[in-house]
Amino acid sequence: MAKTILIVDDSASMRQVVGIALKGAGYEVIEACDGKDALSKLTGVKIHLIVSDINMPVMDGITFVKEVKQLDNYKFTPIIMLTTEMEDDKKRAAKEAGAKAWVTKPFQPPILLAAIAKLVLP
Amino acid sequence: MLHDQSNNNTKFLYALLPALPVILGAMAIIWQYGVGLYGVIAGLALLCCGVGSGLFLWRRHEDELALVNAHWEEDERRKMEAVVTYTTELERLLLTITPILSQHVMASREHTEQEVISLTNRFADMVTELQLIVNRADDALSGQQHYQLDNVIGTSRALLQPILESLKQIHQVEHLATVELHKLTPHIDGLSSTVIDRHKLIDQLNALAANGAKPEDLRQLADDCAHIDQQLAEKVNNIVTAVNATLATADSSILVDDSTLYQAEDNVKQTLAHLSEALVHYRTDVEVLRNNAEQVRSEINNVLVAFQFQDRVSQILTQVENNLLNLQETIQKIQQQGSERNGNMLQVDEAVEHIEENYKSVSSRPSSEQDSSDDLTFF
Repeated sequence: MAKTILIVDDSASMRQVVGIALKGAGYEVIEACDGKDALSKLTGVKIHLIVSDINMPVMDGITFVKEVKQLDNYKFTPIIMLTTEMEDDKKRAAKEAGAKAWVTKPFQPPILLAAIAKLVLP
Repeated sequence: MLHDQSNNNTKFLYALLPALPVILGAMAIIWQYGVGLYGVIAGLALLCCGVGSGLFLWRRHEDELALVNAHWEEDERRKMEAVVTYTTELERLLLTITPILSQHVMASREHTEQEVISLTNRFADMVTELQLIVNRADDALSGQQHYQLDNVIGTSRALLQPILESLKQIHQVEHLATVELHKLTPHIDGLSSTVIDRHKLIDQLNALAANGAKPEDLRQLADDCAHIDQQLAEKVNNIVTAVNATLATADSSILVDDSTLYQAEDNVKQTLAHLSEALVHYRTDVEVLRNNAEQVRSEINNVLVAFQFQDRVSQILTQVENNLLNLQETIQKIQQQGSERNGNMLQVDEAVEHIEENYKSVSSRPSSEQDSSDDLTFF
């Protein structure tokens, strides 16, 4: 059965690029346009991994990660930050919030897929 | 207060300066003629004349100053009105164009986003199609396809080979039959000599009959033998004629069959060789096609990665939108202050520093062509 991955990004084109890469690798994809929208989709459905941007309107990525870690059903779901940010402070903040990996945009699909393969349980 | 004091001093000086020589003249008269009533009156009269002329001059000076001041004030008023008009119009311009610019930026961002999405979809479809081509080419080259030409040629060869063998066997049988026919010829010759021998026997029987030994019976026997011999000779002749004709036909047929069979075998071999050669070309073409498809697929993948720059463009344009909206809000707030507004309310330095910091942060991020070795970090 295909694993399900939640993509959180305010850019529709980025969601599309990530979605194409993931679907091509056999994953099922759910999309959300910001942290709040993503939280509204975490309603019992099985999510094997989350790929989230940081700079988003309404709710940013770091806050979203912190919120996810408060949810009983999803607190162990691995989260990859996919962002244009490079600052160490933000990386540290993401790590402290509970993210498992950091991928910098623009990304090479094989790199993202490698990170996902390492974090998604078989 | 200071202005009033200065004005009084000027007024005093203007009054005193013309009066001073008159006063000095009056003092000289008094000193010359002593203090007398006429002298005092004359002195006071002169003093009054001096003061009066001084006051006249001061008034004239005041009028000139008032005129200059009026010109200056009018000039200043006009300048102030121009500045106020300029400021008001500048505010109106900014408040009018800022939403328009913001809307244009937003429309450009959304339009670009839609186009990038469309292009990404199309390129992704191309990648999928190219991947199919590569996979099928790989299958063809590795022999995974059930209809591949290797199998077709191999199967054809396997089917044709038994036919050629069968034709050879038929040819060999035909050869053997001809040989057997050739072997029959001496026996037919022997049969002919037997007929001749029978003729001699009949002659001897006739001779015996002539010599008186039951002549009629012997003659009848000899006639019967002669009749049978004649029939036998006719049949033998017919057989010999037929066998000779068959041998001639068979010999001729064998020659034709030999040639046809060798030609057919050669043609089949040539056809199979051509097919094998075509297969080699086909394999080469498939390999070239596969490599080209792989290369194009790789290039398109790079384009898809480059398309991610839309995200950066979108961020910058969003930043521009926000900055324009902030500018609009700031101007509206300042405008509400009316005549109390001043340049410090704009906080230009802080605003510029904030904007520069934001754009610097966005523009310092990596491009798609930079080294991506630090792209992935596990926590």
